[in-house]
Amino acid sequence: MILTGPAIAAAHAAGEISIDPYEPQRLSPNAYDWRLGETLRVCSGDLDAATPTAYEEIVLPETGLVLEPGLLYLGVTYERTGSERYAQLINGDRTTGALGIWVHVSAPLGHAGHAIRWTLEIRAARPVRVYPRQTFGKLVFLHTFGAASSYQHHGLKYTDTDGIGTSRLYEEIPGGPR
Amino acid sequence: MILTGPEITAAARDGRLRIDPFEPDQVNPNSYNVRLGPRLLTYTSPVIDAHRPNPTRSTEIGPDGFVLQPGELYLGHTLEEVGSDTFVPLLFGRSSVGRLGLFVEITAPIGDIGFHGQWTLMLSPVRPLRVYSGMKIGQIMFFVSVGSLDLYRGKYQSAAGPLPSGYWRDLTATGAANSVAEVA
Repeated sequence: MILTGPAIAAAHAAGEISIDPYEPQRLSPNAYDWRLGETLRVCSGDLDAATPTAYEEIVLPETGLVLEPGLLYLGVTYERTGSERYAQLINGDRTTGALGIWVHVSAPLGHAGHAIRWTLEIRAARPVRVYPRQTFGKLVFLHTFGAASSYQHHGLKYTDTDGIGTSRLYEEIPGGPR
Repeated sequence: MILTGPEITAAARDGRLRIDPFEPDQVNPNSYNVRLGPRLLTYTSPVIDAHRPNPTRSTEIGPDGFVLQPGELYLGHTLEEVGSDTFVPLLFGRSSVGRLGLFVEITAPIGDIGFHGQWTLMLSPVRPLRVYSGMKIGQIMFFVSVGSLDLYRGKYQSAAGPLPSGYWRDLTATGAANSVAEVA
């Protein structure tokens, strides 16, 4: 079951959901409308799952930045969001999608216990200019079923991400970084 | 409602869902990490035809991995057989894989209740990317369903390894003949 906007507001007031900064006018009928953060990492080289990723970090100018097709951009949500009680799903919104922007390539899932600024995996279908702090997508909150298990107690990699996280998959590949 | 990790483990033990092989350390708070199997398929004709069976080439990922190229579509598969007659599965790439610019599925993360088998992955990278067989590539989550059950009996049941699109199997004999005539 998905929380409605008023239910998100109530859960936020009760301390069961954290959204920082929180702006009530960003609540939509069944989501919170989150914003793009202020920095991007541009990955323009060849990548290897067993090797840390090379990137160039760019502060988004107020005049915007043109995303180019064929490049991988890692961004971050302006908001830090979390909940020990609810699972979260992040997506772009219809407006961003219609600009030809994928905002998140992988599992949109924020595990219960996540309290993060989300790393975004951004790809553009056509050259497109984006701006810091523009509304970029929707975050929904889901009821869970079964005994709870918190991301904070799993020894997982991205427990307290506060910026853009490049992949740390290389830590898992046998033989370690190459 | 989305299953918690402990509920995924409990359901794998009591048979409400099946993950084979099942490794407890691949359970997350609300999902299970699946691994990349060794086989990849690529379509060999310059144009993929939705109405016809499309020839493919099979590649085994060696010990040094395999470089996926942008602009190519690779059909991979999960090492695990995953399915449930109770819950609705959803498959996505892991965040560690998304951050490498790899799309793990295209447009269809939702599985059918009653499908059991290895899941075909639709791999397409933004940048050239070296991948390795056995790496944890995706995440499957499970949702509680509402309503009476009508289990999957479709064309991909019991899939082993990657399976190309079977759209052409759904065409009636007449429809297929028409499409061939149009091409001719």
